[in-house]
Amino acid sequence: MASTSMIERAKKKSDFRKTVTPYMYLVPAFLVMAVITFYPLIYQVVVSFTDFQTKDLLRGLASEKLNQVGVQNYVDILAGGLPVQNFDFFRVLTYNLWWAITNVALHVPAGIVIAVLLNTPGLWMKRIYRSLYILPVVIPPLVVATVWRNIFDEQYGAMNQFLTSAAMLFGSIDPVRIRWLEDFTPPIAWLLPNGPLTLAYYAMMIANFWLGWPFMTLVATGALQSIPKDLYEAASIDGASAYQQFMNITVPLLRPAMIPATIYGFTTSFNLFSFVFFMTGGGPARSTEILVTFAYDLVRNLRLYGAAAAFSVIVFFVALIIFLITNRLTKATENIVE
Amino acid sequence: MASVTFDHVFKKYGDVTAVNDLNIHIEDKEFLVLVGPSGCGKTTALRSLAGLEEITGGEILIGDRVVNDVAPKDRDIAMVFQSYALYPHLSVYDNMAFGLKLRKFSKDEIKRRVGEAADILGIQDLLERKPRQLSGGQRQRVAVGRAIVREPKVFLFDEPLSNLDAKLRVQMRSEISKLHQRLQTTFIYVTHDQTEAMTMATRIAVINKGVLQQLDTPQNLYDLPNNLFVAGFIGSPAMNFFRGRLRKDGDKLLVDTGDFSVAIPPSRSKVYENHAGKDVIFGIRPENIHDADFVPANIDSEKVNVKVDVTELMGNEIFLYLMSGQNTFVARVDPRSKSRVGQQATVAFDMDNFHIFDAMTEQAIR
Repeated sequence: MASTSMIERAKKKSDFRKTVTPYMYLVPAFLVMAVITFYPLIYQVVVSFTDFQTKDLLRGLASEKLNQVGVQNYVDILAGGLPVQNFDFFRVLTYNLWWAITNVALHVPAGIVIAVLLNTPGLWMKRIYRSLYILPVVIPPLVVATVWRNIFDEQYGAMNQFLTSAAMLFGSIDPVRIRWLEDFTPPIAWLLPNGPLTLAYYAMMIANFWLGWPFMTLVATGALQSIPKDLYEAASIDGASAYQQFMNITVPLLRPAMIPATIYGFTTSFNLFSFVFFMTGGGPARSTEILVTFAYDLVRNLRLYGAAAAFSVIVFFVALIIFLITNRLTKATENIVE
Repeated sequence: MASVTFDHVFKKYGDVTAVNDLNIHIEDKEFLVLVGPSGCGKTTALRSLAGLEEITGGEILIGDRVVNDVAPKDRDIAMVFQSYALYPHLSVYDNMAFGLKLRKFSKDEIKRRVGEAADILGIQDLLERKPRQLSGGQRQRVAVGRAIVREPKVFLFDEPLSNLDAKLRVQMRSEISKLHQRLQTTFIYVTHDQTEAMTMATRIAVINKGVLQQLDTPQNLYDLPNNLFVAGFIGSPAMNFFRGRLRKDGDKLLVDTGDFSVAIPPSRSKVYENHAGKDVIFGIRPENIHDADFVPANIDSEKVNVKVDVTELMGNEIFLYLMSGQNTFVARVDPRSKSRVGQQATVAFDMDNFHIFDAMTEQAIR
């Protein structure tokens, strides 16, 4: 009997080792994350329940002037009580979602169609096109935003100059002076009177389209090449036209690759800080403001650190909800193909 | 149901000629097998018939209709691919129904046809599954089912069994033969496996380097190969070849290989008399070489001394790998043979069953 208990003890010891060893490996990474991720995160949550301002910067949470305000910051943000002009949290959130969805809704189909066109067998200079469309993917959004901001410049921008030349063809002599990024009146007033979307939104859609479709084409091209050619041959014998082959083979077989790419595109657009910040700064009159640019504004210009912290916590939960939904979507589409 | 005709068909890729002046007339309800080594153009020929490749010259007819410029879907054919090419995102039922749906068949008709095909192939229980949930053999059946439901005039098979394991291949072979008898439709079947060709075909077209070598029934191909290539390709183990010369010795005609010589029996010598002195290739199948102790009665046999290199016992027979001077060759002998590795032995060539080919043209001398 004694020997049995010894064996059991030895077994327990090895079980303990087996369970603990993996955690030991995780400790270093965890320590780093504790310092650079978890500590700031918790700090921010604590700050979000205070009226942290510039005066408290020196001493931080130990500042004697710091007041605990409870959930006041959260209430202010959600109920529009912040001392900020033109701010309505739910309008910004709605616009932000709309901005992300419309971008993806353009980029994904365009990306797929372009990928299919560029995948045409025997197409000349395929490699050149393929290296060209990588360009927007590798240029920083900051640069893209600056270039496009100049393109949409009222006086010197390429867009207005182009429209002027185009108008001249029809006999107009007046230079076109559209204030793309500044005009607050909705562009198609007869269609959407008092519509929420300003001209700047459409200008940014154009600019972000330039930025966004190549990534989708990149992913779609890769996925297209993994679709066996004989499926198309079988379908052509089965009687499918080119369009039917596209709808019945290409689209469903691209889905496993395109859904994660779509989710990625959605989150990128949703949080596209640098692009929005440098293109319009959220203007005119916060009409193109997204959550992250507003959070930045709270800190950088308004110095409302407590409110900004609360805002970030809210954004965190918004992002979490989006993540849970998209995660569901991805899971639902797993295992379509081997 | 229809006949199929390849009329002087060429297919070139740049400088490479994949199919070179192919002429085949395939009768209605025939089971024709195109066989040849990899890259011989047999698959290209089949794909041209399917409309997946455009031919460079000649005409392809299905029935009386020239189909050169007819789209694949309008040729009234169905094809089973080597990879099966099942649509991975569709269920087995939808895979089979796909072509019918595109052709706007009624739901009831689709259901009837798919059900019928599933019955024939024994895949009724799999209809809800996705291709990835099926084994290789089941996928194969679904691929065949997808062809059957269309009720086409011509069935095309592109090496359909080459992805299956050996046992399943044998089983599917007989099932495809049964299917042909049941459907009474023209089958055109591409394979590199001469056993598949021999076991299933009504007629076999042997193709090499894009050129049709011989088109005949399996038995005729086996018994009377037109040339060296067909002789070597059909039959397993392959026919043995010996380089030699036809020599007259008195009133006897001999094939002299340098290491040994065998006399051609008088009954057959007439054919070869005019070729005396010519360089030839002497061919004899392994089963026509016997152990000298177990020679069947009533055959003209010629004894040859050999060294046994390897023996393979098969149970019902023994494969002997033999050497005679520079020549190595195989014999299928009686299992009672006493031949042992490394020993000298005597074998008997059955001189009623041999082939002689012109060494220059590689054509059979008959």
